[in-house]
Amino acid sequence: MKPTLNVPSLTPPPAALSLDRMSSAAERFNDASASSRMLTRSRWWRWVSSASVLAVMAFVGCLGFGTQSIPYSEIMAVVMGLVLAPFGSATEQGLSDATSVILLQVRMPRVVLAFLVGGSLAMVGVALQALLRNPLADPFVIGISSGAALGAAIALLFGLGISVGSLSALPVCAFAGALLSLMIMYRISAAQYGFSVYTLLLAGVVLNAIFSAFIMFLTSIADPNRAFGMYAWLMGSLTGPDWSTLGILVLYLGAGLVLLGMHAQSLNLLTLGEETARSLGVEVERVKKSVFLAAALLTGAVVSFSGIIGFVGLIIPHAVRLVVSADHRLLLPVAGLVGGVFLMLADTVARTALSPSEFPVGVITALVGGPIFLWLLTTRQTQLGMK
Amino acid sequence: MRRRQQGILTGMPFMANIAPRTFVDDLDRKLYLAKPPTRIVSLAPSITEILFAIGLDEEIVGVTDFCNYPPAALTKQKVAYSQPNLEALVALEPQLVLAPPSFLRADLLAKLEQLKIPTFVLESKTVEGIFGHIQLLGRMVGRAPEANALAAAMRKQVANVTSKVEGRPRPTLLYVLNSEPLITVGPGSFIHHLIELAGGRNAAERANAPYPRLTMEEVLTQNPDILLFPVGEYEGIPQAEQDRWKRWETLRAVQEGKLFQVQSDLLNRPGPRVIDGLRHLVKLLHPDVSLDETVDEPRP
Repeated sequence: MKPTLNVPSLTPPPAALSLDRMSSAAERFNDASASSRMLTRSRWWRWVSSASVLAVMAFVGCLGFGTQSIPYSEIMAVVMGLVLAPFGSATEQGLSDATSVILLQVRMPRVVLAFLVGGSLAMVGVALQALLRNPLADPFVIGISSGAALGAAIALLFGLGISVGSLSALPVCAFAGALLSLMIMYRISAAQYGFSVYTLLLAGVVLNAIFSAFIMFLTSIADPNRAFGMYAWLMGSLTGPDWSTLGILVLYLGAGLVLLGMHAQSLNLLTLGEETARSLGVEVERVKKSVFLAAALLTGAVVSFSGIIGFVGLIIPHAVRLVVSADHRLLLPVAGLVGGVFLMLADTVARTALSPSEFPVGVITALVGGPIFLWLLTTRQTQLGMK
Repeated sequence: MRRRQQGILTGMPFMANIAPRTFVDDLDRKLYLAKPPTRIVSLAPSITEILFAIGLDEEIVGVTDFCNYPPAALTKQKVAYSQPNLEALVALEPQLVLAPPSFLRADLLAKLEQLKIPTFVLESKTVEGIFGHIQLLGRMVGRAPEANALAAAMRKQVANVTSKVEGRPRPTLLYVLNSEPLITVGPGSFIHHLIELAGGRNAAERANAPYPRLTMEEVLTQNPDILLFPVGEYEGIPQAEQDRWKRWETLRAVQEGKLFQVQSDLLNRPGPRVIDGLRHLVKLLHPDVSLDETVDEPRP
């Protein structure tokens, strides 16, 4: 994902997405002139670094909330200890202290997990919106998450994913499920010319229904206790994973992110339409395949760790596109960072609002994202190219 | 146990035989039984156990898929559990259906009412409630002496247990209903009540729901002395998941190796075997307390 100074001629604001800059405020923000929309190295750095600063601030902020109240001075001491001292020694010295166990073994992995999950979902949303040329594409809305959930549910039913060792097999099954539903979705969208936004949404609803039916069937034949846990997991929950588990997730996500990042520029061109992209020198089929693979990999990994968390991939890309840029080289990293921040905040609410109990974070993302989705659907039709 | 409020006719001689045959269930629905029913369907394992314990056998014609105790229950006709097969239920021609309120769908209840199948809903949230139900069922099915004797014996045993643990320090116990994500029992649940009766303190006592998803932070703060995992035929936490708890090395339970298992049937069935569950809990919570002074009544 190398920011470059030139190639403005190759990156006009993508047709479908540039229309998102509908409000005059956004127009003013973007100066409405081609030169300011052009992605420059300094602009890239400016946005990515400010989003990173936001992410770090949110990270430290979220660490301060939890069932057990820990003063910020202690949190800062522990965080500083982590940053300054080598990692191993810092955890070792803190292990005796219950507070630092809570901070280092429970809260911090969970906040990190929220960041990774939120960021991945937002980036998958960006990629799907470009690939399907549909502003309402989101791994949850169009059924990719349920496909992954089905894969993971099958794995869980057969007893995978209980120990750390087999936890690495769980994402593979989820990945297969995600890939399957993505393939179906793409076949549907490629089947007819002028495939409308609504058709894709409807297809997503139906795909969701089919996969949910399979999952319901699996939970009904699973033994009650396992089914109970499966339900809880399906609702979209983040738990405090241990660091080695988190490491596995990072491996999966890393592979997906590299794949996505490599094709950021091609995604820009793909939003113009496959024909145009092809004539501009994009190897469309290859790009599509690897972006699909990356999207399935990210969704599968995320779903197998946290269940179904909806709407993050929908609202975050929209917000970022409105404020920052529709150029995927900038949109992808910034949406990733902002998505991570969003889920960290949402999860902090989920785990503290009913303290000492918690509720699924999917509740919050759906309550925030659902209305925004409806608002986009009803009031922004023309701007979204849905006539 | 509630009885119908008696109005102006109270005391009239002809009521003497009628009023006691009217029963009020835990949904405040009244049920009149002219004579003890001879075909009974139980829709809860706990109710099945109570019925067998008060000496019914032939009268029980239908049970749930989960009714595995006593062994005689396994020979009875099955009518599923959360979604009882209505046709199978009707085919048994029950004169009385006994059901728990949980999982009982309102439409099923309405349908049974429409079919004129007497349905009685029982819900026990406390041990005292079980005794009430035993005596109530005894009167309903014409086994009052057996039921009263059973309830009295159980009352005595519970009193024996609670008197022995009274005044002792209360160790903290975490009951792991589901491991990932962590779901446990909170105030308002039957198992929470049992933990307190057994002289323990529930690690989730500050939770605000009967079956809360507890945060791990709260567990580490409460620092339970004992982790208890349900195991059993139909449910339970697999060994691998139990072992994963050992990574929380600051927990007293992990340091002292107090990760225990319990037959989930003994704790989550508010029936006659709850005494065994209670004794099991006391053994875990207060290993130095001896419960053997009184002779146990042999149970059927």
